[in-house]
Amino acid sequence: MSGLKDIVDGTREIALAMGVTLKTLITEAPVTVEYPDEPMAIYPRFRGRHELRRYENGMERCIGCCLCEAACPTGAIYVEAEENDPAKPLSPGERHARIYEINLLRCIFCGDCEKACPTEAIVLGHIIDLADYDRHDFLLDKQALLNPPTPNTIIRPDA
Amino acid sequence: MSDWITITIDGKEIKAKKGELLTAAAKRGGIEIPVFCSHPKLDPLGACRMCLVEAETRRGKALITACTTPVNDGAVYYYNSERARDARQGTLELILINHPLDCPICDKGGECPLQDQTLEHGPGHSHFWEEKTHKTKHYPLSDLIMLDQERCIVCWRCIRYLQEWEDKPQLGLFHRGGETVIDKFPAGKFDAATSGSVIDICPVGALTNRLSRFSYRPWELDKTDSICTHCGQGCNLRIDSRSHRVRRNVARENPAVNDEWICDKGRFATGFSYHPERLQQPLARMNGKLEPVSWQEAIQQIVAGLQNVSKEHGPEAVGALGSAKLSNEANYLLGKFMRGMVGSNNVDYREGSAVLADPRGLPALGDVHDADLIVLMGADPSEEMPVLANFIKRAAKRRGVKLIIVHPRRIELSRYPGIHLAPMPGQEVDLFDALTRASLQAGGEAIPGWLPAEDGAWNTEDVRAAGQWLAQAQKPFIVYGADYAWGFGARDIVTALSNWAVAAGHDDRLGFLHAQANAQGAGDVGLLPNQLPGRRPLSDDEARSAIEALWQTRLPRQPGLGYGGMMAAAASGHLKAMIIMGADPVGEKPSDAAALDKLEFLVVQDLFLTETAIRADVVLPAASYVESEGSFTNTERRLQRAPRAVKPMAKSVPDWAILMHLAQAYWGELPASWQTLTIAAVFAEITRAVPQYAGMSWENMGAEGRQWQRSALEVGRELRSHDPGFDPTDRKYPFHLIIGNQLWDQGTTFAATTEMAHLGVMAARLHPSDAVRLQVTAGDRIRMHSGTGEITAPVVLDDSISPNSVFVPFSFLQAPVGELFDRFGQRTAVAISKVSN
Repeated sequence: MSGLKDIVDGTREIALAMGVTLKTLITEAPVTVEYPDEPMAIYPRFRGRHELRRYENGMERCIGCCLCEAACPTGAIYVEAEENDPAKPLSPGERHARIYEINLLRCIFCGDCEKACPTEAIVLGHIIDLADYDRHDFLLDKQALLNPPTPNTIIRPDA
Repeated sequence: MSDWITITIDGKEIKAKKGELLTAAAKRGGIEIPVFCSHPKLDPLGACRMCLVEAETRRGKALITACTTPVNDGAVYYYNSERARDARQGTLELILINHPLDCPICDKGGECPLQDQTLEHGPGHSHFWEEKTHKTKHYPLSDLIMLDQERCIVCWRCIRYLQEWEDKPQLGLFHRGGETVIDKFPAGKFDAATSGSVIDICPVGALTNRLSRFSYRPWELDKTDSICTHCGQGCNLRIDSRSHRVRRNVARENPAVNDEWICDKGRFATGFSYHPERLQQPLARMNGKLEPVSWQEAIQQIVAGLQNVSKEHGPEAVGALGSAKLSNEANYLLGKFMRGMVGSNNVDYREGSAVLADPRGLPALGDVHDADLIVLMGADPSEEMPVLANFIKRAAKRRGVKLIIVHPRRIELSRYPGIHLAPMPGQEVDLFDALTRASLQAGGEAIPGWLPAEDGAWNTEDVRAAGQWLAQAQKPFIVYGADYAWGFGARDIVTALSNWAVAAGHDDRLGFLHAQANAQGAGDVGLLPNQLPGRRPLSDDEARSAIEALWQTRLPRQPGLGYGGMMAAAASGHLKAMIIMGADPVGEKPSDAAALDKLEFLVVQDLFLTETAIRADVVLPAASYVESEGSFTNTERRLQRAPRAVKPMAKSVPDWAILMHLAQAYWGELPASWQTLTIAAVFAEITRAVPQYAGMSWENMGAEGRQWQRSALEVGRELRSHDPGFDPTDRKYPFHLIIGNQLWDQGTTFAATTEMAHLGVMAARLHPSDAVRLQVTAGDRIRMHSGTGEITAPVVLDDSISPNSVFVPFSFLQAPVGELFDRFGQRTAVAISKVSN
């Protein structure tokens, strides 16, 4: 008669488990996020898409020193520097980046570029929705990098 | 081995050469003593104190500067003692007090001795927190060089270079102590022809290249050991490129050729390789206009055009011009194509059959370093070969070597002790005869009867002294240049000057100074109308059958036309088709445009759409020498490799590869004798065709090149009589026309570096006394006409020009001097009149 006992025990276990589910459903808020309809909580040190930052006066921080490029383990960064026009300098000092490109397909988001940067110009920001339809759109140029939706965020004050 | 002594450093015994400096001896023993001011090619100074080591002296241990201390036998030094280490660390800390933290934006960062030594020997921290002193940053010393006084550590290397090598002290130290700065002298210029060398030797980023400023970081460059093709010296340099664009050139050491210096033309004039106006694709004439076409189409049109002309008018109606700026391989294949496939001996280049150069060029550039007399005839190294000019200056200044200069202008080198003789065109022969007589007399030899009588205009003290000097010299460095080897009367002048060398017993030391990179090589590989590869005459049956066997073809026997001959034949309608590779006859002589317009078919392959190219039926875009591989033979017969440094621009193709394609299409398929599909294979074939090159290969040329033996080619010289000189001036054309090369000119490859375009003063130069006579002042325009043609140019007054003459430089766009002489003669006279505005 073990077959009948199994059915009864099983039914009770399921009822108990469903009870927990029912209780949680009523008493606790959902943990999942309705992404992309709702924003994701991102940890402060998360490394998302790159941004090129500016100083408060609008000057570009990047001086085109190419140290990020040298530090990059995958060769995802390409920089060409240029001399500032003294009448209309883009950055403090004599030098700025004429070309600044990041190939997101190559980038492994290791953050070495951030560490190498002497002016804290390049930072890995909090933009995570990086999917796109065209391979070419993964090549970020300077304009794309300089104008992130929320500019000048100090992302890692401890870094 | 008495020259070798033993010294002890840190208890380790090291063999050293007697009298050498401690830094050099230590280096041989494996101890690299850090230095800033010391440089192996400059005199020791001891300014920076970075090289402090301890030495055992009679008064105990003392700190000494290793870079100024000659080693003595048995001397004991301590490099790694605590006191020495502390001293060096302290020195470095002091140097760094005011050195700005510019490293991320400094062009030297990454290859900076100060960075490297701070990492290795520095304290790692500083006691100083005060504000650093501020001096002038971003200070353009000249159009080519930028100075940053804050970065300077006052090592004096630049100052000493300019004094010791260039002999133009144009930089100095001003103020004292921490305020000391390097600067030009008040109202002074900084225009030495090799000024860029100070960038290479600056141990910090104080002196940087203005043209390549901020365009590279040293670690990301692709470095290609190559050579310079701006002149015949063939200085060794390194081409640094990134993303297939040349970023800068730096000097590369080759003691036999350029020591470790290059001139500013070689260093800065790199613009031709990435100029936006470079030809991007083949062009062909359709309905009277040059239109872009594909390579296949262009090659097919060329083959059709050449075959039509050859069929209708015979192969001798086809001619080809090569270039002394292009590689041996390109010129060799052009000759092979013309002779072997088309069947015409009409091949030449501008510096080819018309120039009576010594077929062996110069004995050796290095001879100047131990010469006891320097003789320059019709050559101006300061404008043609600035690095050689520096060697000559150094010989004159350091070793007291006298200079004998025969030149119609008072060239820069004539400021050194010696004799300057300034014969006007037509007088050279008489002068060399007088010198020959003087040398024969000094040697106590018989005077041949055909030498003119003694009592000529040149019976002067200077001439007798010059003749005597050369006769008594042991190791003279004797060169003549193209000024005396080209055009009307050149044969007599070259005979007369050879006579002088023979009379003085130095005919084996007489050499020719080629002003173009591969003028020697283009002739060696046979791009001459009357010679086969290896400088063997067409009539040499043995050579002919050797070449025929190698090329598996029959060679035409009839000597071809030279450069001038081809232009004349084109004008008269006898020449119907031409291939012009890297030459611009119309740019040099605009009136030759009419001759080229008469051609039925003209092919031009070049970097730019030149005046000649716009007249072509097909224009092919060639790759520049930095984009293609090739070997060049410099003026001392040294073969050197110029490997590919960057990708060819757009659809351009190296000249030698163009010729391979052309040969394939011309023949229907590539014949077995043309199956040399790599540059090494082409070069291997050249070494079989040119006996002097035997035994060489692309690989064994090495980084420093290989010279072919001067003894491989016999040039019998003896005293020979000649015709007298001829004074070209008369009442109608009273001024002598003096032509020469100018370093900063407007030649195609140089002018492409637009940042340098204004460096040269392009003008006709007149002696002030003539200007008064002609009532012109500086800045006026004058018209010069010679009966053949006329040009107009602005005037500069210059007292280094002899009276009754006018100097006009080559490669002067406004005033193409080729207009003034006919196709065969250079020495000519002009009438001058002022152009009223």
